[in-house]
Amino acid sequence: MLRFILKRAGLAILVAFTVSLISFSLLFLSGDPAAAIAGEHASDQDIEAIRRIYGFDRPMLLQYWEWLSSALMGDFGESYYFKLPVAGLIAERLSITMTLGVCGISFALLTAVPLGVAAAIRPNSLLDRFALFLSVAGQAMPSFWFGLILIVVFSIQLGWLPPSGTATPLHFVMPTIVLGYYAMPAIMRLTRAGMLEVLSSDYIRTARAKGAPEGLVMFKHALRNAIIPVVSLAAVQMGFMLGGSIVVESIFALHGAGYLAWESISRNDLPTVQALILVFSMFYIVFTFLADVLNAWLDPRMRAG
Amino acid sequence: MTQTADPLLQEITGPTPGQLLRKRIFGHQGLLIGSIVLGLLVIVALFAPLIAPHDPYAQSLLARMEPPVFLGGSWEHPLGTDHLGRDYLSRLIYGARVSLLIGLVAALISGLIGTAMGVAAGYFGGRVDAVVTFLINVRLAMPVVLVALAVVAIFGGSLTVVITVLGLLLWDRFAVVMRASTLQVQGREYVAAARAIGCSNTRIVMSEIMPNIVNNLIVVITLEMAHAVLLEAALSFLGLGVQPPTPSWGLMVSEGKQMMLFEPWLVLIPGFVLFALVLSINLLGDGLRDVTAPENRN
Amino acid sequence: MKRILIPAAALAMTAAASVQAGKSDDVLNVAFTKELENVDSYFNSSREGVVLQRAVWDGLIYRDPETNEYKGNLATSWEWIDDVTLELKLREGVTFHNGEPFDADDVVYTVNFVADESNGVKTQRNVNWMKSAEKIDQYTVRIHLKAPFPAAIEFLSGPVSMYPNEYYAEAGPSGMGLKPVGTGPYKVTSVEPGRHFVLEKYEGYHDSPKGQPSIGTIDIRTIPDVNTQMAELFSGSLDLIWQVPADLAEKLDQMGKFTVANESTMRIGYLTLDAAGRTGEDSPFTDVRVRQAVAHAIDREALVSALLKGKSQVISTACFPSQFGCDQDVTSYDYDVEKAKALLAEAGYPDGFKTEFYAYRDREYAEAIASFLNAVGIETDFKMLQYSALRELRMKSGSPVSFQTWGSYSINDTSAITSQFFKLGSLDDARDAEVAGWLDAADSATDPAVRRENYSKALKKIADEAYWVPMFSYNTNYVFTPEVTYTPTPDEVLRFTDMDWK
Repeated sequence: MLRFILKRAGLAILVAFTVSLISFSLLFLSGDPAAAIAGEHASDQDIEAIRRIYGFDRPMLLQYWEWLSSALMGDFGESYYFKLPVAGLIAERLSITMTLGVCGISFALLTAVPLGVAAAIRPNSLLDRFALFLSVAGQAMPSFWFGLILIVVFSIQLGWLPPSGTATPLHFVMPTIVLGYYAMPAIMRLTRAGMLEVLSSDYIRTARAKGAPEGLVMFKHALRNAIIPVVSLAAVQMGFMLGGSIVVESIFALHGAGYLAWESISRNDLPTVQALILVFSMFYIVFTFLADVLNAWLDPRMRAG
Repeated sequence: MTQTADPLLQEITGPTPGQLLRKRIFGHQGLLIGSIVLGLLVIVALFAPLIAPHDPYAQSLLARMEPPVFLGGSWEHPLGTDHLGRDYLSRLIYGARVSLLIGLVAALISGLIGTAMGVAAGYFGGRVDAVVTFLINVRLAMPVVLVALAVVAIFGGSLTVVITVLGLLLWDRFAVVMRASTLQVQGREYVAAARAIGCSNTRIVMSEIMPNIVNNLIVVITLEMAHAVLLEAALSFLGLGVQPPTPSWGLMVSEGKQMMLFEPWLVLIPGFVLFALVLSINLLGDGLRDVTAPENRN
Repeated sequence: MKRILIPAAALAMTAAASVQAGKSDDVLNVAFTKELENVDSYFNSSREGVVLQRAVWDGLIYRDPETNEYKGNLATSWEWIDDVTLELKLREGVTFHNGEPFDADDVVYTVNFVADESNGVKTQRNVNWMKSAEKIDQYTVRIHLKAPFPAAIEFLSGPVSMYPNEYYAEAGPSGMGLKPVGTGPYKVTSVEPGRHFVLEKYEGYHDSPKGQPSIGTIDIRTIPDVNTQMAELFSGSLDLIWQVPADLAEKLDQMGKFTVANESTMRIGYLTLDAAGRTGEDSPFTDVRVRQAVAHAIDREALVSALLKGKSQVISTACFPSQFGCDQDVTSYDYDVEKAKALLAEAGYPDGFKTEFYAYRDREYAEAIASFLNAVGIETDFKMLQYSALRELRMKSGSPVSFQTWGSYSINDTSAITSQFFKLGSLDDARDAEVAGWLDAADSATDPAVRRENYSKALKKIADEAYWVPMFSYNTNYVFTPEVTYTPTPDEVLRFTDMDWK
């Protein structure tokens, strides 16, 4: 088990390193950020001075090396825009993104798993059809459009929910739904499929034959087995979702890491963008790693791969 | 790390009972509805110049944001006009071209990359497989929206840039599915037979393996087309997609957003068409999977 | 849909009005659209920064936005010793928010700090005309200039504000950004960088021409999306929003529930054309007839009446009309498609030509302008870039046509705009030595008549040659609840001291 974990961890680190190298070279291609730092009213001399101070004229690998060695020490440099350490800036905003991510995945699990179970218990029922419709429609709905519609309906027409900001838990309701619904279809389908498979297995039939109460059969025997792949899917989805929070945060004006990423891109604030790409990919890497370890722990056969 | 992709994989390669059920409900209805809607949209896109009532670029600053006919507008502009007085219906019609083109070409580019990688990994195994698996992991770890936004910001938005970026970013699912499918086919007798009689690798891949995995490929193509269409719309919505005055549905939602509280149709109409397009592609893909892989049915 | 929505929105608002009656809490909730990078006014370059600067700090001098008359603020009087030396008598008894008394040491420290280029003040132009400051006695200072600079008083009453020497020496720009300390009418009690600022009335504010603050607390949040801002305005959690797009301001005005005020700003929008052929010798824009055709092709009246609205005006000069030296008696090109086409044909382009068209902001306006060019046969390849990317491109190789805007950093003088772009610098697309010569003469002269004459010559030639196609001035919409009274000023600065509850 330990060997498996070490191997996976090594792979995860290698992936993170490669992602950082790719994103650094991408941003390096964006050319000279001096004009962006200097701002609209700067003169040519200002821009030239900034170029020298920041050392934008040096070779890429050298700049990457410098970035990497300080990033490993937790220093992601200073934001060109805010003139504050990037690490602090991101840490401060990450809590909002994390809150949103946790709420989103909880929402997805809390709606998708019961729906999936219910659909599996009564295949072809009205509820099953409804669940199916949700999953097909959910995949096709552009999240920015969905978010805007929610704002129009619940904030403007009905006045029930605040349209933006993070002041109270109510502020997180709509962003949570928009972020979470995207993960729902896959989770629901997997739950449903898993339940159907388990329910047709021998030992459930045995349990039923022995006269165990139906509720006990469902929840103790069936769901416990069907849920395992769902948990690892949820972990992976969580990694994807945090990356997808850019759109949601920009619609609902949540000052989280996703919104910071979008703003930093339009401000050409490369150190921040660079660090954010790394942070978001780390989310994915860490969650995938956890899911792998969880899987291997639950199912020793997987440790071989 | 690939085990965790398994749920995803199962979902695509074999119909789960869930899909079987969907088939029972939608049956070929899903396929039918999907193909009809998609077919209509393709026709609209192909014959846009004949169908569109107006030039989608012709502006009239005196006739801005006129309401659609069902909200009290005139038949002159059945779906009203946008913030520069351009005919909304005509822009929607031309916008179908943009969405379909981006979806199709991006899916083809990523399909080429992903299939080549996936088949190579499945066929050769060993180091090739390890490298491809690693690349898939790297790609999955990159936040797509963020990277696409950054690249478009660097190179400036245009149809070519958006298509290229999406094409280069969306190959992961192709690689995962093609790799698994190849592994499955790999063990069959006809592949062993072809090997035994000394066929070249190219020949084996092209004439023995590909024909047997192509139906999975088609299903992934539809999924990724839908994915690309949605991503383009999201990029355009965030202001970093195709350049105006090119009519893109995502851009139209973005432009209408400012007046959303007062003229919600500006947002509702393009968003709905986008939804219909993606839905029809998905229905078509699901339908195709059911029809083309009958041996997998339980 | 529309009919359903607006009453609902209005309902939501009336429901919230009961909450608002609690403006007894004396808190004015304001929204910023952009994230402010640093509250330290020397280290940001945005409107939001100027708003906070005017609230938190004071300058030595103050320009009354109504009368344009200069009044003493932290200085009570000033006099030119010679062309490059200004002596100021300081106000006594002023204290900073942290209790530090204000005197000559603060002025000397601030001026010497910001004038030193290596300290990296963001907008060098605001401060780089000063060489140093010298203390004469506790309440008398001299500011030494690098060269004669006619706009010195204007800058001292605008962007140059006074910092507490002891605190600033210790805290520096980043400390000042997180915990700002000034002498202004409002003190900052809370800063979440870029997102949230809380200001409180400074009880010990001196007898300043800005007037005394009335509203107790100003709570400013950054809300990037204008729809969200409006939704919060409807629900009562915002009292004042500004920079509201024209279409929305119009709708809000029609609702009749809010006060909508409009004021012009000094920002103008224009096209700059590649007259010098920087993008290539054969650029069509090297021909004056092509440039004039562009000018005739654009319906500027329609742009103003349909898109910008409010107090925007059509302009024909390469400067804002109120600026000193901005002679309005120049060639103006009316909207005439036939004439534009004829000029193009005469220049050898009877079927038009294809060109790249660049823009960096106001996509809606830029798109409309490009569409006018398409209509006379100039086919545009529209390219919207980030500001920095477009600037880099223009510095290196110029651009054939580019939609630009310039706000003159609110300096009411032609030197703040025309001289910035027509003196052969890297953003000068005309590269006309004659124009540059006149501008040099105007910038360095102290006699107003000489300045006026030279600016006039330059502006006339710029218009005749159509180096630029000046189009319109911008405006800003302010929308606030009926409980707030406020009259905006044309300099696009929110003045909290001018606001009050009804």
